[in-house]
Amino acid sequence: MDETVAEYIRRTVLKIPRDEIKTMLEKWGLLSETQLQTINFRQIKESISQDVVQLCEENSVDIKQAAVLDIIYNHVYPNKRVWCVYQMKKTGEEAEFFDLTDFKKKFKGRLRSALKNVTINFREYEDNAIWIRIAWGTPYTKPNQYKPSYVVYHSQTPYVFISASVLKSNLPLLCQALVLASNYHDIREMELRSHSLNSLKDIVFKRYSQNFQTHYPRPLQERNVAPKSDLRIIQENRNEKERIERVNREVFGDGPQPKLEFAQYKLETMFKSDPQMDVLDKKEPFRCLVKFSSPHLLESLKSLAPAGMADAPISPLLTCIPQKARNYFKIREKKHFFPESFVSP
Amino acid sequence: MAAGAAPRPARRGGRREGGSNGPRREAAPGLVSVMESVEAVARTLLSFGRLSRGLPFGRAHGLSSRDPLLPLAPRSQENADPQRTAFLLRKQWTLYSVTPLYRFSNAHLRDYARLLSAFIAAEKQKGLAVEVGVELDIKVAVSSLPYLKGSDQDQAAILVQLSSRSPASPKNSEEKLIWSGWFCCVSGDNLSKNVPEDFTCLPLFLVNGAECYTSIVGSWFQKTFDCSFRRLAISPLILSWMAAMWTGCKVDKTASAMELVFSVPCLPQPLDISYAIHPEDAKALWDTVQKTPGEIIQEEVDVFMDCLYSHFHRHFRIHLSATKLVKVSTAIASAHCDGIIKFLQSQYLTGVLMLLTELAISQIE
Repeated sequence: MDETVAEYIRRTVLKIPRDEIKTMLEKWGLLSETQLQTINFRQIKESISQDVVQLCEENSVDIKQAAVLDIIYNHVYPNKRVWCVYQMKKTGEEAEFFDLTDFKKKFKGRLRSALKNVTINFREYEDNAIWIRIAWGTPYTKPNQYKPSYVVYHSQTPYVFISASVLKSNLPLLCQALVLASNYHDIREMELRSHSLNSLKDIVFKRYSQNFQTHYPRPLQERNVAPKSDLRIIQENRNEKERIERVNREVFGDGPQPKLEFAQYKLETMFKSDPQMDVLDKKEPFRCLVKFSSPHLLESLKSLAPAGMADAPISPLLTCIPQKARNYFKIREKKHFFPESFVSP
Repeated sequence: MAAGAAPRPARRGGRREGGSNGPRREAAPGLVSVMESVEAVARTLLSFGRLSRGLPFGRAHGLSSRDPLLPLAPRSQENADPQRTAFLLRKQWTLYSVTPLYRFSNAHLRDYARLLSAFIAAEKQKGLAVEVGVELDIKVAVSSLPYLKGSDQDQAAILVQLSSRSPASPKNSEEKLIWSGWFCCVSGDNLSKNVPEDFTCLPLFLVNGAECYTSIVGSWFQKTFDCSFRRLAISPLILSWMAAMWTGCKVDKTASAMELVFSVPCLPQPLDISYAIHPEDAKALWDTVQKTPGEIIQEEVDVFMDCLYSHFHRHFRIHLSATKLVKVSTAIASAHCDGIIKFLQSQYLTGVLMLLTELAISQIE
């Protein structure tokens, strides 16, 4: 077995949390049951990984097989990467029958005709997700296994999730190969990025509970509910608090929010002030860049109005994130009729 | 963040006693105006009674005697060779206030280095020092930086540097700088003139390096000169002053954005908001707000910040004034509320130090 393969396997095993190693090796299936039993999974990870490498030597594991372990790891821990969403476009015909073999052949063919040195792996999962791992080389160097790109394609949809560690120069080629293999004719990057792959899927597949502009009639029971809390506590502004809660629910929806970590707004709108203040009155845009970040951004924004830090309803620039399926925006002033509203291209 | 009940200093009458616009040395116009504005701010801040030693308009009295000092500030800038101060730039410095040092002498710097070195070695023996498993030979250097001061009354800054050489490498191999700390006083007359003979006033201490060394060096100074150190926090009010003040500074090269960072920790999921404004647009706004030449008043800072907050509110319907301003970043410097500063332009170094010195003095008193 090649030294580079051995080293790659060793480092991949080291990434895995110790308690997960056995399960992942079983999923991998390159080591037999008997071989797995010879490993002491209670020792330190360095020793476990060396034992694994030793056994892989016996089985003459090659790089393509080793790469499968990497896919398994990334499938269990996708949130360690940042994912970008791409949408493919067809020229309007009916959906064709998806042929996986054909897809793989065309994809590999396109990449290999451009780059001799490339490692490509496919792995299919239950939810119709096809995971593709690509390690990129150059005409003169072997593929770099430590900086692979990951693609997750749900064949029944036009959406592709690409892990942003792609060496940028290979991105156009990757997009070409995807479009060709899936029989679409174009692909565009959506302004939507996150660590949470599942949340991105929730957003584009509309799997979250959406907000509807429904009138919520005020439930009568509320008035008759016996107060559970201490009678000495008086709720001031009760009506206002209830209005805020209601409006907040309307704009954010009732269910759990998709998990995003950041949203970015490039503002190119005019600065407007109270004319009395006699300040800046430029004819050019007031250029700003606003970034929101949080472990769970949408839940955080949802809690701002009830906490008194934002008006209710909060700005649609924020609440539109799941519907518009984007978290990067460029906001310009709307020209004609509604000077107070904004356009985001 | 509004001015609230803070008194507005009656600046108009007392300014520029002795007529004329005061002598101007041949410094670049941009420099003089910024030094004026930075000085003006320092003075204005003091007249709150917040930063001064109690006299509500204390500094106002000193204005006329202060004026001759005005050209001195640019002069010290001219002396401050950008190359000599380059090592202070673009590094993160943690700030402390230091009470006056008893019986400290500029003439004994070498002795201090020796004693501190011995102290560090002793601490290592006790097992208290440094990082586990790393056997380092630590060398101490204490030097004076005479060009880092505001007025002649100021003490020259004192720089302490710890460098190491791993015992594995050969004797004359390069030493690696592992820790730096410097004491300074820029225009700290407020403190120094009220302190008895034997005391040296160096109220501001800036540190870059591992905490373990900071505490050893700090303990030695505390023991030797009977002084005490305290972390210097920067309030949101002061941060907004810095934002306004530094936005107005003229910068030669392409400036970086003026960035304000807000934190909202007390939510179920904490939120951070970064609000960065194109430096030209921020300066254009400040220039229309700042109406009185050569001075900055609280009201102007408030208007500036309110403008930024309302522009933000117009888009997002979020009240930034209800959040906590934790960091301000401009082309000339950046400051964090935990008392961390980064100097980015050598020509404004002294100006920023002057403000920090004032903050340190107010914390001591």
